[in-house]
Amino acid sequence: MTVAAERSPARFKPGARGGAREVLGGRNIGGHAGVLALIAILAFLTVYPVSMLLYGSLHSTPPGTAGQFNLHGYRAIFTAENFTVLSNTVVISLAKTIPSLLTAILLAWIVARTDTPARRLLEVLITLPFFIPPLLTAMAWGMLGNPQVGALNLLWKWLTGSDTAVINVYSWGGVVWHMMQYSTPFLFLLIVDAFRAMDPSLEESSRMCGASRWQTFRKITLALMLPAITSSFLLSFIRGIESFESPLFFGTPAGITVFTTELYNAINHRADPDYQYATALSFAVLGVMLLLVAWQWRALHGRSFHTVTGKGYTPDVTRLGPWRWVTFAFCMLFFVVAVALPVGQLLLGSFFRFFGFYTWDMLTLENYTKVFQNGELRRAVWNTFELGLLGSTATMVLGGIVAYVTVRTEWRGRRLIDVLAWLPWMTPGMVLGIGFLWAFAMLPGFVPIYGTIWALMLAYIALGTPVAVRVMSAAYQRLSTDLEECSRVHGASWWQTLWRIMIALAWPSFAVGWILTFFSIMRELSASVLLFSAGSEVLSVVLLKMWMNGEAEQVSVVGLMTMLLVIFFRWLQLRVIGARISTL
Amino acid sequence: MSGVEIEGVSRCFGSVVAVDNIDFKVEPGEFVALLGPSGCGKTTTLRMVAGLERNSRGRISIGGRVVSDAAAGYFMAPDRRQLGMVFQSYAIWPHMTVFDNVAYPLRIRRRPKDEIRERVLRALKLVEMQPYAERAAPALSGGQQQRVAIARAVVFEPEVLLLDEPLSNLDTRLRAQMGDEFRALQRRLGITSLYVTHDQEEAMSLSDRVVVMQEGRILQVGAPEDIYQRPRSEAVAAFFGSPNLLEGEVARCRSDGNGGFFLRVTGASWEGECRAGEAFAEGEPVIILVRPENVHVAEAGGGGNSATNGAIAWTGQVVQLAFRGARVSLSVETPAQRLMVESPALLGVREGDRLTLSVAPHGAWAIRPGARPRESFPP
Ligand SMILES: Nc1ncnc2c1ncn2[C@@H]1O[C@H](COP(=O)(O)OP(=O)(O)O)[C@@H](O)[C@H]1O
Ligand SMILES: [Mg+2]
Repeated sequence: MTVAAERSPARFKPGARGGAREVLGGRNIGGHAGVLALIAILAFLTVYPVSMLLYGSLHSTPPGTAGQFNLHGYRAIFTAENFTVLSNTVVISLAKTIPSLLTAILLAWIVARTDTPARRLLEVLITLPFFIPPLLTAMAWGMLGNPQVGALNLLWKWLTGSDTAVINVYSWGGVVWHMMQYSTPFLFLLIVDAFRAMDPSLEESSRMCGASRWQTFRKITLALMLPAITSSFLLSFIRGIESFESPLFFGTPAGITVFTTELYNAINHRADPDYQYATALSFAVLGVMLLLVAWQWRALHGRSFHTVTGKGYTPDVTRLGPWRWVTFAFCMLFFVVAVALPVGQLLLGSFFRFFGFYTWDMLTLENYTKVFQNGELRRAVWNTFELGLLGSTATMVLGGIVAYVTVRTEWRGRRLIDVLAWLPWMTPGMVLGIGFLWAFAMLPGFVPIYGTIWALMLAYIALGTPVAVRVMSAAYQRLSTDLEECSRVHGASWWQTLWRIMIALAWPSFAVGWILTFFSIMRELSASVLLFSAGSEVLSVVLLKMWMNGEAEQVSVVGLMTMLLVIFFRWLQLRVIGARISTL
Repeated sequence: MSGVEIEGVSRCFGSVVAVDNIDFKVEPGEFVALLGPSGCGKTTTLRMVAGLERNSRGRISIGGRVVSDAAAGYFMAPDRRQLGMVFQSYAIWPHMTVFDNVAYPLRIRRRPKDEIRERVLRALKLVEMQPYAERAAPALSGGQQQRVAIARAVVFEPEVLLLDEPLSNLDTRLRAQMGDEFRALQRRLGITSLYVTHDQEEAMSLSDRVVVMQEGRILQVGAPEDIYQRPRSEAVAAFFGSPNLLEGEVARCRSDGNGGFFLRVTGASWEGECRAGEAFAEGEPVIILVRPENVHVAEAGGGGNSATNGAIAWTGQVVQLAFRGARVSLSVETPAQRLMVESPALLGVREGDRLTLSVAPHGAWAIRPGARPRESFPP
């Protein structure tokens, strides 16, 4: 194949100097066709829904109906209520990011740089919440911290004899508290490798210069990690703005609206959905996200991710003496609060007729039988699995190809491919969901995607691609180009090399990325809730519906089964694949 | 066995000319080293031969067959060139055992199973790595990886073996040992080899001929001894060790009847004879290369009979002295200039001593100042 024969393997970082341009010249038809096809696929997944968003925001009626172009949608955004929504969104996201970051730094330091007992186990426990769908813990906390019948409040009343509840999760604090539980492990995963990858001689030389341990930590360790910490902070902040489950569960009942719930309400909870307003708001949010991401890039001088080199340092470990049991207890406390309590609540709730009424006569197995008889639920599980298996495979294949083209070739157009694949990164799921809603509705009739399971599939692929590309390009970057070139010189064609060397070496990353994508599909709610339709329900949507209908006990049963799945995949990832690969 | 021919080859990266119009030939069975400072285009040259880089201009042939011709737009993919290559990083595939690594070129060529087994074991035996055949590749030391890389490169008896600084990742002792072993292996197999290095000693001790490169150009091609003793330019002379380069003027030039020349030269306060590879005109300025180890040391006023045998002589004071075991390195301030001298340690020279230094005519070599290497080297 001509692409193979004519390709000049890039020895320098892509974009360093345009070396291979002349090699490829204009003759490489195969390469050009490949690039064009890739650009077309990515554009359909990202640019197309975003441009439909723009169209929708300027058009007075939903697609397919007669209407006119005007700016009513944008005018409707600028209201005092929306100013409150904006400040709620920002304040909540900041309020959860700062304490999460501090906790994550502390946890990462404990796990990576101290002699706390059982650190490997602690690391697995601390990162576990990241893999639990937020929907489940939100429901669990709804049962734990309900002011009337929440288990924690009942326990408090029983212990103290008072009748006032101490905890009310339906509040500002509840929203922030719930967000923290999954942003802390997320930040931990981003930061812990930076702690590990530190060259110990940098710190040792500071000690030799007379700095104390604490001075060294402040002036060297933290300073060196500042880029990693800054980028993690911004990333977590952006994620906070996109968050949907926490404000939906704990904010809405308390009258706290952020922009995701505002969008959701505009479409789902009005007698007459205001699509123009929703699309205009989405587009405005997209603009804000763009500014944020641009700021993040500036802060990091263009490096959007802090990649840590895989040097095998064994960093200096601080001996804590008896304090190591305190740090151990701190890590365990985090695990108990973020995992054991909610999972315990699901377990508890699943065996009682009504949660909150924990008496012997309320014990039952009815919830389990009901769940197994629920046809809609069964269909949703089936759909979710189908989407998860196919969707994560497709996402990872696409991500693997995009990463290969951007990291390993010097094809013209690879920058555009990189940017296109990265675009959904700054698009909140809900916004992309609305965009796809329009995009599918505008497709000609012979492409029946609208209202089918494929609509969800395409949205999941788009949402998952940025992470897939990161995981795979990190994997390729770890592999020296010599390994490929050596294979070529010794007689293997381009395809043989791809198969026998690249894929053979990169599959663990592929598998880890696959599991991550599978999980993100399983927990995806904000786009699903807009794109599903009768027959194509997914688990998260059905769970939400059941919860809203007051079937919290059956939701607990499903939640427990999901937990088993989470634990199984985590085990698979840690044991079988063996490679502990950073999530982003 | 086949040779390699490189004709007028250049490689540009944007506006950077990494390799600039080079020509040379590797004869079948010959071992040629590409020598030059880092960044001079050695690796690029090797990669162009391998087909990993495409030449912007010129033509490359392997075994009389053109593999790349920029003018004709012809380019043969690396996998069709039948080469063996040892990378600087060794490029041992970490997901395979030693055996699988070495077997790879044969498996790609779909050889029968027992042939693969036999040839792999033979190749591993050549590099004394048989006992490690089933070892996982990452569990090897640097020296072992290097042996596996060599075994892999020779297992299918390639037309030409290419090596990119294969010893540079080893420690000094292992480097010398592996270098000797490899040279013996290459002689035994008689395999045409093109070897890239920036280490002069390595290049001289291993190769039949050395190609000296600088800034993408070839300065000189020749046998190691020629390159060292009879360089054609200051740059080549300066590349090995720390030579003394003295400015002088030609007083007389006569042929030695063997293609070489004897010159009578005069410099600031000295005079004597030296050899040259080309004719000089009377009164022409000239640079005299005197290698530190070719300088003869005597006590001042001792043997001052330089005029009789044509040797050049200087008198001066030792200003610096470094003991190096077998020898001492002296720095001697003479009226002409400061001279570097290597002398036997037994002589017992001390700092501050006054010495007479002399160099016999065959130890001094004349270079035309600013000689452009291109005009003078043989095709
Ligand atoms: N792919 C490339 N893109 C841009 N410049 C390159 C590339 N490869 C080599 N160069 C440049 O070409 C010159 C020669 O490099 P190289 O052949 O690697 O030198 P050597 O192996 O002698 O150290 C260097 O200046 C290097 O920066
Ligand atoms: Mg090199």
